[in-house]
Amino acid sequence: MTALTTRLPRMVKPAALHTLLLYVASFAVALTLAGALVTLTGKSMSETAYALYQGSLEGGGSIGLSIDEATPLLLVALGAIVCARAGIFNIGQEGQLLMGAMAGAVVGLFMPGPGWMVMVGSLLGAALGGALWAGIPAVMYYWRGVNVVIGTLLMVFVAAQLAMYVVTQENLLQEDGEAGARSPQSNLLAEGVMLPRVGEYPDLNVTSGVFVVLAATVAIVLLLRHSTWGFRLRMLGHNPAAARRSGVRATVLGGGALLISGAFAGMAGGIMLSGTIGRFQPGMADNVGWEGLLVALVARNHPVAAIPVALFFGGLRAGGGFLASTGVPRYLVSVVTALLVMAAVFPAAYAELSKLRKRNKPVVVEG
Amino acid sequence: MSTRPSTDNGDTATAGTAATAAPAPAVELTGITKRFGTVVACDDVRLSVQRGEIHGLLGQNGAGKSTLMKILTGLVRPDSGQIMIDGGEVSISDPLVAAGLGISMVHQHFSLIGRMRVWENVTLGERGHVDRASARRLVTEVGDRYGLAVDPDRAVEDLTTGERQRVELIKCLRRDPDLLILDEPTSVLTLKESHELFSVLRRVTKEENKTVILISHKLDEILHATDQVTIMRSGAVVARRRTADTDVRELAREMVGREVSRLTAGSAVGALDALVEDIGAAKEAKEEDEEREVRLRVTDAHATGRDRRPLLRGLSLTVHAGEILGLAGVEGNGQAALGDLLSSLLELDKGTVEVCGKAVRAGRPGAMHAAGVGVVPEDRHVSGCVLDMSLAENLAMADLGEVARGSFLSPRRLRSRAERLISEFDIAAPGPDIQMRRLSGGNQQKVVLARELAADPKVLVVAQPTRGLDVGAIEYMTERIQKAAESGIAVLLISTELEEILTLAHRIAVIHRGAIVGEMTRAEVDVERLGMMMGGQAA
Ligand SMILES: Nc1ncnc2c1ncn2[C@@H]1O[C@H](COP(=O)(O)OP(=O)(O)O)[C@@H](O)[C@H]1O
Ligand SMILES: [Mg+2]
Repeated sequence: MTALTTRLPRMVKPAALHTLLLYVASFAVALTLAGALVTLTGKSMSETAYALYQGSLEGGGSIGLSIDEATPLLLVALGAIVCARAGIFNIGQEGQLLMGAMAGAVVGLFMPGPGWMVMVGSLLGAALGGALWAGIPAVMYYWRGVNVVIGTLLMVFVAAQLAMYVVTQENLLQEDGEAGARSPQSNLLAEGVMLPRVGEYPDLNVTSGVFVVLAATVAIVLLLRHSTWGFRLRMLGHNPAAARRSGVRATVLGGGALLISGAFAGMAGGIMLSGTIGRFQPGMADNVGWEGLLVALVARNHPVAAIPVALFFGGLRAGGGFLASTGVPRYLVSVVTALLVMAAVFPAAYAELSKLRKRNKPVVVEG
Repeated sequence: MSTRPSTDNGDTATAGTAATAAPAPAVELTGITKRFGTVVACDDVRLSVQRGEIHGLLGQNGAGKSTLMKILTGLVRPDSGQIMIDGGEVSISDPLVAAGLGISMVHQHFSLIGRMRVWENVTLGERGHVDRASARRLVTEVGDRYGLAVDPDRAVEDLTTGERQRVELIKCLRRDPDLLILDEPTSVLTLKESHELFSVLRRVTKEENKTVILISHKLDEILHATDQVTIMRSGAVVARRRTADTDVRELAREMVGREVSRLTAGSAVGALDALVEDIGAAKEAKEEDEEREVRLRVTDAHATGRDRRPLLRGLSLTVHAGEILGLAGVEGNGQAALGDLLSSLLELDKGTVEVCGKAVRAGRPGAMHAAGVGVVPEDRHVSGCVLDMSLAENLAMADLGEVARGSFLSPRRLRSRAERLISEFDIAAPGPDIQMRRLSGGNQQKVVLARELAADPKVLVVAQPTRGLDVGAIEYMTERIQKAAESGIAVLLISTELEEILTLAHRIAVIHRGAIVGEMTRAEVDVERLGMMMGGQAA
């Protein structure tokens, strides 16, 4: 065993090989399980796989849908990456996204002015709403020492309650209409406030939010790698004590990272609102916040790597939707896509965990 | 274990029962080899230890001493080799087997639990019900038997390091081991405590015919306390001597592999005697002391830790331009807090810090650095550098302004600055982009020093600057620190190694329980008195 592990490095980079094997194994397991499940419920595995493909990749329409799904995922992931680089774990994106969408809806519905201005205002409002929602746990942390993971998580539940409340009060955001016939959702945004869709083809067209997100990705890559801000952020994330010694103020920089991450999640909500859904609904976050976190995890906190990962996750979401529309029961769709998501996440999570374990090893008997 | 009725006239206990011709050694290791990746920690090691002797295992940091002993206690499995205990071959697959064979070890770093009481710590790991009364009795009994007085009801966190050491020893001795291994036991003790420890070891071997292996990298101790000595260098045994037949020079030469200067012998290998003799010849460097400008003044500093325990209790000190103030003291008496204070990592409850006459706000991120305090911290991995960033980035981190244009870094400036410092400070690295983690300890230390000196500090704080370094790196650090002082920087040297302080300092202050308890110039040094002050006795 020792002989093998010492000889290996000369042949291949063992880490890369190890990771590759882990991915292969984990997808093999997931596919086997999914196949077994599908067959057991009396469906055909090949038909299911084909439907997934049809829904995510076949033809411009499906591809456009996948990209639309990937857009907010990538934005959420970018925010999570900024936070992770600063050594802070914001896991409340699901709530920040919802609050962003809510703020975006308020601006979009009530702000006067020309359509394009309201549209921009709505997006900015969404970012602000998300930042505010992340700001609360930031304050709780830097003032009272409340753990960020717990703080941000708690705010997810508060957000869900608040969202439900505002769409069931007629003097707040609930849609207009007959007393008994109102749904718990807001009015539709005006046509001119919606993000324009781009793409000439009859089928392949995507929301222009995509460009906002790609620009954000480029900006984050450049800032993290080449700016003094990025340098300080990385220093803070890797070694807070050394950072403080060199004059990094954790409250400003770390708190700022948390706000940025919240703003990104909020903006994702805003793009979903004015890019695809068109109105505020309490269930609209639909796990995008959580899955965005997973995108960051699988991409190992690299903004560029997050692009293909977000596309993969977006494709799964689009494919899953299509699969459900072919009559496969919803729960089965959920389980199958969840298995594939887990297959993608497992190797990264495993690497992350073993890193932690190494770091926490007791050093009592060290020589 | 039955104590043999000692005839009390023979000089060796084994001679009394010499029915067999030559008794088998208590421990015999042959051909022991252990690799960690490419590092050969033990290379075909042979070690033979007779029953009833104190056997010294001498070697520099990294020589493989701890690894060898961990093999003997079942914590590390050797790649090859043979272990014989009292003449019979054994396979020590885990620590339980070692315990069964009567082997017990006090590790280099204590494994006590601070919140728990002494008796609880001593019986820790016991299976089944532990009854309090008998556990306390046990502590007292073992303590009386070996002269290791300690109150069984006190919490370990309230004990001094010397007392903690006693608890560790009681924990081992209550199992009545045949073979007792101590890994660098004196690194946390005062001189007096060390001597007490050695007399306990003497009693254990003389009266109970137990065997002791004492690991150390201090020559003084080996000469004082052992009967035989085995010297290791880079994983291999390079010499075996009867202690009575050797001297400091020879031991130092064998351990390092070449002749070492008197100065280095002093600080690097712990030959206190050589240094004390030097005192007479010490330069009277204090002539103009009074006139020199005060660079650093800490006044009545009080600070509390996270757990509400006091770290500093009214500490005051001054350091002048061009002088090296050595701060001596037993580990854990506030040195780390002082280092943190001067690194902007600690806030004060009361008291002030002034640099060149200007008050600096304690605990404000970057304030000390901005005021001109450079720090080479005690644990460079904790606040000295960022292991996951590159060498060039580590060299730049405190002075980003120098490598930035506006709010963006200039890769060219980052690189050229790094290249300049790498050659100026003789840092061995394949290039400026290498990850800090991949440098050796000595080179990491050089990087930290280079960065701090590059900022042109008024005051330089160096804490345990040579801990864990090899002799070459120690010589380098010693020289650089001296040069820094010669160039007019006020140097505060914080060290638990008295030898290091005696080698470098012009003036010595002693820290105990978070305050300065005494000061003397280099010329007035009296080791006895220093030792007493370090142990907290008024002197
Ligand atoms: N668990 C380990 N993994 C990798 N290398 C190790 C390990 N333990 C020790 N080493 C290496 O083996 C060498 C000898 O270490 P050690 O036995 O601790 O030396 P000593 O106790 O003489 O200072 C060193 O180079 C050290 O870095
Ligand atoms: Mg050791």
